[in-house]
Amino acid sequence: MSQVEEKTTTTGTTDAPDSTRRSFLRTLFGTAGLAAVAATPAGRMLEDKTDISVYTIGRQTGAVPEIDTDADVITRMNGDLARALQKQPAERRWVMVIDLRKCVGCHACTIACVAENKLPPGVVYRPVLEEEWGTYPNVGRRFVPRPCMQCDNPPCVPVCPVGATFTNEEGIVEMNYERCIGCRYCITACPYSARTADFGFTYNDGLPIADGLIIGQTTADDYERISNFEYGRGYDRPEGERSSPIGNARKCHFCQHRIKEGVLPACVTTCIGRATYFGDANDSFALVTGLITSPNVMRLKEELGTEPRVYYLA
Amino acid sequence: MADTTIDARPKKRRIQFTWRNTDIFWVIGVVLLLIGSIGLYQRMTQGLAPTALGSYVPWGLWVGFYDYLVWLEVGSLLVFTTLVYLVSFKRLAQLKPLVLFTGFTVLLMALLIVLLDLGQATRFWHVIIYPTFSSMITWMVWLHILYMFILVAELALVLGIVKMNEARAAKILKLLAYLSLPIGLGLIIVSGSVFGVVAARPLWNTSSLPLMFLVSSLAAGSGLILLLAVLFWPDKKSTDYVEVVTRLSRITAWFLLAGIFSASVIGFTTLYGGNPSRTAAMQLILTGPFWWSFWIVHVLLGVFIPILLLFFRGHQPKWAGIAAFLSVVTFVAVTLNVVIPVLATPELEGLATAFVHAKLNFDYVPNLMEWQTILFVFGLGGVIYGLGLRWLPILEKKN
Repeated sequence: MSQVEEKTTTTGTTDAPDSTRRSFLRTLFGTAGLAAVAATPAGRMLEDKTDISVYTIGRQTGAVPEIDTDADVITRMNGDLARALQKQPAERRWVMVIDLRKCVGCHACTIACVAENKLPPGVVYRPVLEEEWGTYPNVGRRFVPRPCMQCDNPPCVPVCPVGATFTNEEGIVEMNYERCIGCRYCITACPYSARTADFGFTYNDGLPIADGLIIGQTTADDYERISNFEYGRGYDRPEGERSSPIGNARKCHFCQHRIKEGVLPACVTTCIGRATYFGDANDSFALVTGLITSPNVMRLKEELGTEPRVYYLA
Repeated sequence: MADTTIDARPKKRRIQFTWRNTDIFWVIGVVLLLIGSIGLYQRMTQGLAPTALGSYVPWGLWVGFYDYLVWLEVGSLLVFTTLVYLVSFKRLAQLKPLVLFTGFTVLLMALLIVLLDLGQATRFWHVIIYPTFSSMITWMVWLHILYMFILVAELALVLGIVKMNEARAAKILKLLAYLSLPIGLGLIIVSGSVFGVVAARPLWNTSSLPLMFLVSSLAAGSGLILLLAVLFWPDKKSTDYVEVVTRLSRITAWFLLAGIFSASVIGFTTLYGGNPSRTAAMQLILTGPFWWSFWIVHVLLGVFIPILLLFFRGHQPKWAGIAAFLSVVTFVAVTLNVVIPVLATPELEGLATAFVHAKLNFDYVPNLMEWQTILFVFGLGGVIYGLGLRWLPILEKKN
């Protein structure tokens, strides 16, 4: 039984394994089983930690969940995340996997992202593209969520004239809003159209004034004006000001502010079809590692050599 | 062989600008400033929100005009410097203050337009303080600033703002002129490379594009010098005038032909290549909603008619002037067709409908506010130009 097969099993895309296999794997991947894999590179990595059963992530401390291949994928990825965060940042390789066979095109991930990052009108980090092909009645249709690909060779980074966009040590392409001059060169350079410009709109533009009520421009837009927490910083949008991120290019950052607190990206936890996976591809036991080594994996526009970190299962 | 007799029919009125009647420039400039100030006000108070630009077509009218003005500014000086200093076309040298001042005014307009295009314009100095030399925009800004310093130094010497020994001034001027050649060439090539290096946009991503920028810049620039000669030459009854016009006509016509060749290379290799990601943008240029801007404005009015006029009537200043005017004015259609259709071609299927907002669409048409802002910039350029011609020693005052 290969690890790849098992990972595929946990996503529910193949038949459930028999009980013998399952119990074997439980033993293998259980707490006691960790010692057995200590000889592997991943095992050695785990062995280096002083106490791998306890984690401290941000303000949280707790027990690292055991690797449970039967658990719900969210539970499993939470464990993967907790484990990854015990490593040095440069040792992690965050990847996202999107199973196109499971995506139902509900756009919940898009909306979750908008809410999480308080994205203004016209700014979107993760639209879901709808593709149709064929001629009736022989037609096909699929939904393709498109976050930032967090490319290993990001075309958007070298074109920035002021170094306002860069790859951090975890491989995530970040924005430095205070540095960005808003030339939008990075937007033209991204082959995936994964960057949008913040033109400074709010959803409550043009609403009537209704002082004292919970509706109306003066009250309802408070929500839009208070800070979001991208990159672990607070970026509010005070009325009448055009401070960053207004006038800047913006992009998906895999919800780094959540990851640092041990929480999965908003699009992952919101996906009703369990079609989006996230984790550390440098962890041999992580769910995503198995997924991206399956033969039905693909990436968008691979021919450009951008080496995207978002994989699609088709 | 061109007819070198003077076309001096005294009954007909000629357009002849001297230092006395250049007020027309700043008067028109003020009118444009007033009209354009509405757009500028919107830009200053609401940023880029009132523009028709969006996230999928993030560059539009302003970037197109910026490149157009760079072509004019650098192209005219490249041609002028080459003719006067390298080819020893000495008769042209008397236009030097005018050509330099025209280039300087156009440069200011170009820099203002690109400044207004920045989402955070007050941070423009970041390109100096935090430069990233892997970016073509960094090179473009640095070369442009360097070019501005050279131009200002040349102007200061030519206009006598900096006093020094005449022989020494001539020596320094020559040095500055030689220096302006590689810097100007670099600026044009880099301006083309801003687009040429973008692998995400297949139609831009060709080594031919920076070369096309160079040829187009030389064509537009030589046309501008020809226009300046026709409008401002001090003694239009001299044989020098006809000779200058005739030679400049030929030069402009050949550059226009070279432009046709370079554009055809890109066009035919794209269409015959058949790669949909490239041909889609090319088809948009050739047959899209703005096909007329390419075929009628550029090809017919900007290239075909001027070439005919310049080759067959190039020795007649009136026709040469009309040809130069047509060519110079319509060249903006080229830069707009370079910038916009490529961006208006979706990179991924389904993007246009995935998340709906006015700023997330591919149907970019410059709106009134953008045009008003352009008018403001041209108005400002007109005022600077008019006042400069009136008060600086650019045009001879013996008239």
